[in-house]
Amino acid sequence: MAVCIAVIAKENYPLYIRSTPMENELKFHYMVHTSLDVVDEKISAMGKALVDQRELYLGLLYPTEDYKVYGYVTNSKVKFVMVVDSSNTALRDNEIRSMFRKLHNSYTDVMCNPFYNPGDRIQSRVFDNMVTSMMIQVC
Amino acid sequence: MSRQANRGTESKKMSSELFTLTYGALVTQLCKDYENDEDVNKQLDKMGYNIGVRLIEDFLARSNVGRCHDFRETADVIAKVAFKMYLGITPSITNWSPAGDEFSLILENNPLVDFVELPDNHSSLIYSNLLCGVLRGALEMVQMAVEAKFVQDTLKGDGVTEIRMRFIRRIEDNLPAGEE
Repeated sequence: MAVCIAVIAKENYPLYIRSTPMENELKFHYMVHTSLDVVDEKISAMGKALVDQRELYLGLLYPTEDYKVYGYVTNSKVKFVMVVDSSNTALRDNEIRSMFRKLHNSYTDVMCNPFYNPGDRIQSRVFDNMVTSMMIQVC
Repeated sequence: MSRQANRGTESKKMSSELFTLTYGALVTQLCKDYENDEDVNKQLDKMGYNIGVRLIEDFLARSNVGRCHDFRETADVIAKVAFKMYLGITPSITNWSPAGDEFSLILENNPLVDFVELPDNHSSLIYSNLLCGVLRGALEMVQMAVEAKFVQDTLKGDGVTEIRMRFIRRIEDNLPAGEE
């Protein structure tokens, strides 16, 4: 369902980025990159309200012709960006939300691995498998 | 006095994440300090041994278990009382050797390895080797020389974690001549 999933560090460099191999990888990287501006905008616009409600899900960042880009930001300012095919109309907001939550939990496990140094690229097999399962689900 | 009073059979609660992360920090620091995994394994075993020889006193004081008559009884106490008390898990005991001097402790889930994924360059690291040292040290203090080693580990892709225990010999007390 998702065609590209990215984890972006607090300082806006990628910790992890994976996209479906059949499409042009660069296109998605570019898409994720541009979405970061929207993420920043959303964070500053919602500012206080966001922090108060503990709402981490940012919702739809922007739609393009073929894809929709969704965002999620943790309290430690790590961003998750997910690109999904917009032809997939069955995908509800709630499902996107639960996917992000799954991603967040998995990311937390990676952080808790004593052999992982915070700030490094994520190379965990478990995380990789989880992302793969999200990308191929009901394609 | 107050410390004595605290020492009941009830176990104190502690965050398992803190425990797991503390152990993880210990192991990764050892990996940084030593060149190869063999040395780290050895060091973990040594640390475990030092913990074991102390922990046994605490264990005997708290659990009120009596003297064990054979190795099977010892195995039972280790699995059902000791592991339960200190790690909150109850491993199962299987694979007794015909002579009754070897058995396996099967750990369904090992609290030390939550979150852990071994990187490829540490393939020979025995992450939980501390436990073997603890078992060896503790049993040595009650006159039993044993060998403990990991034969299966979930970190290395096995389904369960298995510690193989082998009884070597009884350590005879060197009583001064004329006593007993």
